[in-house]
Amino acid sequence: MNAIVAEQKSPLQFFHDGRVQRKLVIFCFMILPMALLIVFTYVPFIKMIQFSFYDRTYLDSGKFVGLKNYLEVFTRSECFGSLAVSLYYMGGAVVQLGLALFFASLMVFKVKGAGVYKACMFFPYLICGIAVGFIFKFFYSRGYVLDTILMMFGMDLEDIPYWLQNQSINNISLVATSVWRYTGQNMVLFLGAMMSVDNDLYEAADLDGAGKWQKFRYIILPSIKTIIVLNLILSISGSLSAFEPPYVITNGTMGTGTYFVIMNRLAHENQKVGLACAMAIVLLAIIVLCTVAQKLFFKYVFTDGADDPEAAAEAKRQRKAAKAARKQKKEVAPV
Amino acid sequence: MKKVLALILTLAMALSLASLTACGGSSSSSTGTTDSSAAGDTTDTEESGLPTIDSITLGEDYQDITATVTILTSRTDIADTTYAAYAEEFHELYPNITVEYEAITDYEETLQLRLTTGDWGDICFIPTSVSMAQLSDYFIPLGDYDTLDEIYNFVSEATYDGTVYGIANGGTADGVLYNTRIWEEAGITDLPTTPEEFLEDLQLIKDNTDAIPLYTNFAAGWTMGAWDSYIWIPATGDVDWHNNIAHTSNPFSDRGDQTGPYAVYYTLYEAVSRGLIEDDPMSTDWESSKSRINSGEIATMVLGSWAVAQCQEAGDTPEDLAYMPFPITVDGQQYAGASGNYSYGINNQTSEEQQIASMIYVKWLLEESTIFEDEGSIPALKTDDMPDVLAGFDGVELLSNSAAPEGEEDLFDDVNNESEVGLNNSDYPDCEILEAALTGSATLDEIMDEWNAKWTAAQESLGVEIYE
Repeated sequence: MNAIVAEQKSPLQFFHDGRVQRKLVIFCFMILPMALLIVFTYVPFIKMIQFSFYDRTYLDSGKFVGLKNYLEVFTRSECFGSLAVSLYYMGGAVVQLGLALFFASLMVFKVKGAGVYKACMFFPYLICGIAVGFIFKFFYSRGYVLDTILMMFGMDLEDIPYWLQNQSINNISLVATSVWRYTGQNMVLFLGAMMSVDNDLYEAADLDGAGKWQKFRYIILPSIKTIIVLNLILSISGSLSAFEPPYVITNGTMGTGTYFVIMNRLAHENQKVGLACAMAIVLLAIIVLCTVAQKLFFKYVFTDGADDPEAAAEAKRQRKAAKAARKQKKEVAPV
Repeated sequence: MKKVLALILTLAMALSLASLTACGGSSSSSTGTTDSSAAGDTTDTEESGLPTIDSITLGEDYQDITATVTILTSRTDIADTTYAAYAEEFHELYPNITVEYEAITDYEETLQLRLTTGDWGDICFIPTSVSMAQLSDYFIPLGDYDTLDEIYNFVSEATYDGTVYGIANGGTADGVLYNTRIWEEAGITDLPTTPEEFLEDLQLIKDNTDAIPLYTNFAAGWTMGAWDSYIWIPATGDVDWHNNIAHTSNPFSDRGDQTGPYAVYYTLYEAVSRGLIEDDPMSTDWESSKSRINSGEIATMVLGSWAVAQCQEAGDTPEDLAYMPFPITVDGQQYAGASGNYSYGINNQTSEEQQIASMIYVKWLLEESTIFEDEGSIPALKTDDMPDVLAGFDGVELLSNSAAPEGEEDLFDDVNNESEVGLNNSDYPDCEILEAALTGSATLDEIMDEWNAKWTAAQESLGVEIYE
């Protein structure tokens, strides 16, 4: 209303206008983060899309080759072959979420020294990925930390597998490092969500004589489903783009080369920057697909009829108890 | 009241924003001016004529120049100690010029990105990713090839179109580092001259001593890539092989006489598959391997001669370490390749004073400093003596790769990168040989056939002429 009056007013009055002020404040607050975002994310990203159509190195601008790089990504066996390695990391992600959920639900109830536990669990996340890599490089080295510990428990060095060399377990060894690193972080996220659950619900549950498991299943799980879904999506896209453990610990040798490691090798060792950019874009597409697929999955399977917590809990129950699905339904329906 | 508060807040935000953008503006404009002045300098360099490096007399010329020169190096281990000491020594000779070292981990990748900005310092080790044709985009010319080639070793490695853009920081010879005590204890009297003899000797070491016959340092990666340096002169005795390989069909095939690239990779493959290497290649550690070969826990490592000095320093028995040529004999003669280390290049985007000061320092390093004795490398000056570590190379012909023919300076790199065989620049293919030998997943012939196929495909896609 003031705006109409302000139109012909002096500049000072123009700034006095509440709407103008609000817009100004919004603008001032936004411009820095937006500038950073544009300069460091969107411009490089657009450049990367551009590079992916060129046959170029870092220093030489090369020539336009159209879709050739993309064709190559799809015809090379190692590009998509390496996604098989990501399956290990996806498996790891599930274990990681399970562990995080477990520890978080232990700690949401009153525990002595919860702060210390939380700090200890969260600490690995604060270490930079490269350092984690070096820690575990020595941890898994033949005759070093892990082997020594196992030998203290009476194992013979001969019976201990080569953690990084044996191709049937070396990916698991690597995945374990990322589980170690991220479990604490996931746990803290879960814990944060759990803390926001109204205490009255627990009290009511106590009055009704609910056990811890029941509290977890009927109170906690439904109230933190959003954060679980979020963590799962992040973990899955994270496992598709796993890089640091294999790069630092094994350099992608002995069958541990993930998609990112191969991309890095093509770009930096063979100077095929265009091809590597195309690989990055294809990976982005895969990640988007996976995320959308997960979203749809959770929408139709996990949180069927999401608004009603009871129905959500029921849907969850159905999914969890998949073996006894039919019986469960009959039992639950009258309730 | 609220309105006043809001106004203050808005003003504060606007002010801070203005100051921030002002900061950004001023810094960007200042880089803008340096850029434009630099561009101006480079254009008039050709007319005003920088001196060539051979025309400078150290200690006399350009005493009046005042400059602070930044030099980038990959040697994070000694940049603050040994290298800084050189800078101080130089400072006494030229009190007006201050030299500062900046050590960079992950040198190659960092430099790839920093070079393109133009604002990276004054002197650097030219990264291998800079192709010959690109040298003039980043570095000033130091002189012409014919003149400098008379004075310095390995000049051809940074020469394009007859102009030299970088001079190698000394060089190394390709050979095999071994512990003489262990080799003697194993009962070996004569050094091996063929891959088969070498493997038999390693077997003797395995049978008769407790030492690890051959330590691959697999986990470090680059130590595996080092095997590529033996497929040139040591394996063929041919100074043009490096240029011809791009024109050769199936260069990795078995020549049948224990020579050529195949023989080098055969040595690696067989040493692994016969169990003559360390127990778990994934658990190797480069730093500790230096002292372990010194003490005799390790008998042999296949590395360039630069490694000798480092391994000698790493323990109490430096006299046990010796260096032998790679065990391949071509027509009764053993050869060793000598190649330059990183070459020093000087930024062409800085002021002329900076460039001259940089040139003086590079010349001083190459000619007057003790850098080559300290590192045990082949000196840059052709007139200087060979390092002691090459004492065991009697009767071995020491050769360098010849310069690429005009117009083909980048041909090898192009074919090499396109094929992804990654000779000299990617460790992974060499790692694959070890993997295959260890797990038995592929025979050497299968791997070499695959490399040949990739090489042929690259030659075809680049339209390279094949000579028979």
